[in-house]
Amino acid sequence: MRDHPGRACIQVFLAGILWCCLAAAAMAHASLTGSVPADGAVVDTPPQSLSLSFSEPVSPLVLRLVLPDGQARTLGTFVLRDRVLEIVPPDGLGAGTHVLVWRVVSEDGHPVAGSTVFSIGAPSSAPPVAETAADWPVRIALWLARVALYVGLFFGIGGLFSVRWLIPGGADGLRVIRGVTLLGLAAAVLSLGFQGLDALGVPLSGLMDRTVWQAGLATRFGLTVIVLLAAFCLAVVASFRAAFAGRAASLASLLAGGGALALSGHASSAAPQWLTQPAVFVHAITIAVWIGALLPLACAVRRGGDAGRQALDRFSRLIPACVAALALAGLLLAVVQIQAFGALFSTAYGAVLLVKMALLAVLFSLVALNRWVFTRPAARGDRGATRRLVRSIIVETMIVLAVLAVAAAWRFTPPPRALALAAAQPASIHIHSDKAMAEIALTPGRAGPVRLSAVILSPDFTPLSPKEVTFVLSNPEAGIEPMRRRAALQGDGTWQATDVILPLAGRWRVRIDILVSDFELVRLQETVEIAP
Amino acid sequence: MLKRMLATVAVLAIGSGAALAHVSLQSKEAPVGSTYRAILQVPHGCEGRPTNVLRVQIPEGVIAVKPQPKAGWTLEKIKGAYAKSYDYHGTPTSEGVKEIVWSGGSLGDDEYDEFVLRVYLTKDLKAGETLYFPVVQECPDGMAERWIEIPAEGQSADDLELPAPGVKLVEAAGGH
Repeated sequence: MRDHPGRACIQVFLAGILWCCLAAAAMAHASLTGSVPADGAVVDTPPQSLSLSFSEPVSPLVLRLVLPDGQARTLGTFVLRDRVLEIVPPDGLGAGTHVLVWRVVSEDGHPVAGSTVFSIGAPSSAPPVAETAADWPVRIALWLARVALYVGLFFGIGGLFSVRWLIPGGADGLRVIRGVTLLGLAAAVLSLGFQGLDALGVPLSGLMDRTVWQAGLATRFGLTVIVLLAAFCLAVVASFRAAFAGRAASLASLLAGGGALALSGHASSAAPQWLTQPAVFVHAITIAVWIGALLPLACAVRRGGDAGRQALDRFSRLIPACVAALALAGLLLAVVQIQAFGALFSTAYGAVLLVKMALLAVLFSLVALNRWVFTRPAARGDRGATRRLVRSIIVETMIVLAVLAVAAAWRFTPPPRALALAAAQPASIHIHSDKAMAEIALTPGRAGPVRLSAVILSPDFTPLSPKEVTFVLSNPEAGIEPMRRRAALQGDGTWQATDVILPLAGRWRVRIDILVSDFELVRLQETVEIAP
Repeated sequence: MLKRMLATVAVLAIGSGAALAHVSLQSKEAPVGSTYRAILQVPHGCEGRPTNVLRVQIPEGVIAVKPQPKAGWTLEKIKGAYAKSYDYHGTPTSEGVKEIVWSGGSLGDDEYDEFVLRVYLTKDLKAGETLYFPVVQECPDGMAERWIEIPAEGQSADDLELPAPGVKLVEAAGGH
């Protein structure tokens, strides 16, 4: 079928016009020509407006401000004045380094992206010096309070539950149990103050300050302490009432104690919370039931007679199930927390877990010894076996105390001091290609202002003298588009850029663009881990 | 007919739109063993600054280079030896223009211009490959835009930040 000649003409004509339009549109290629605040600037006060100037009129696709804490805010309010994009910043910008991330599209439809950095007051430098010099008195106080709190919870509240529900014959130890309950109560109150000291970075002498206590109450741990106080009070009540009221109070106190631990802490805040919080609850309650039963059991067995045998019998029937639930919940939490097997050996958290596991291995062998060697003869009334069983229970208690002391150290993992030490080291990368090789160092290797330096050699290790060197940094995981910094040649032959601020920790992509000659550019790229 | 019209539009859109955001060559294809009029399209300056100097590197296998003078620009031809001897209509040629520099002009960042040179594409060049003419735009304050990246094996010019303008080589027209 043949087309009408006129129609073909129109067709060609229209296509021609369209081609012209497309070609004209395609000429437009936007590049950033300036920004306010300028890239890398340090300003005294939060800017009233932000602006980006481009070589062409642009339409923003993404405008984000990454705050010093790593959170990103989408910037939705902006106007385009010719080639200048004026953006209204969010209210209440704090001190530190901010990254304005932009991705715009110009007329050619090619998105162009980049990041500009500015700091309010001073560049963010993490961690602050105050945290580097850990306040040991406060940390020791926190740790002691935590150990005392666990003792109160497991031996006190757990012990009372045991006396009221499982081992009525163990009432001999009631005074001790009441004592540790009161110790736990005091520890709970004090740890609120210590938590406040830690949160504010105030030394131990600031404990009398009201704001410290308010700060402690305001942390997530505050709620835990309130519930714990209720639990300890209920336990004290239960220690004076043997009848129904005592049993009810001890049960309520046990549940409240377990619930309190599930309200805060590393483990409870790990995702998925619907799993970790119940696991912490089960872990805490089963520990309390098991550990709490040890002292009453020892008392009952030592006294002997029917009550002793009955106590031993109940304990041996109930506790295996309890320990199974305890181990299962603990294992689940450990898996969630550790995730990668290697972290067990490479992190402080993992080290604490390993020590705890080692102690538990000793504890469980002792438990097995009690259960399968001493229990039967003791139940038959063998006095020697009974004595050995009581002694073994006391040793068991000691090991439990050690386990609690170790577990309390989790409050401080990962220790910021060790992290800060590691972070002061430069992060370095070596990149090798068939065109050039570069040895790049970021000093210090942590978020904040860093100095980038590179030694550039040709692949056969002879010096290379490039015309220009540019560092290009991006963090795709945090949504930070490439930031470019020109390097300057130093007297010692290294190329350096000092006006670089890495606003966030994490995996950064470092690229070095080496202009070998006017017409030859070599790009080398590698990722580097930046510490917080 | 609509189908044909759309196809025409699509071909034109792809042909013209893909690489023109950077410095580019107007004609996208040229046969080897022929004279080629290379029209370099310069769409913008260096981050807001005007272009004062435009330098073009002549790739190996391209001979008999004649740039077109431009009013307001000084033209310089940097000559040198070729990597090998090339046949130019029966005459062996082993040296010639290796780089062309237009300087002393001022092409605003918000302006557009074209720079033209006439070259001979020798038959030593391989049809099916793309021939790249690396271009450097120099601006005041030491600023420069360098369209000098040549795609490595398996890469396309779209993957590059600073692609050199290129022309696709096709089989020589018959008869010669």
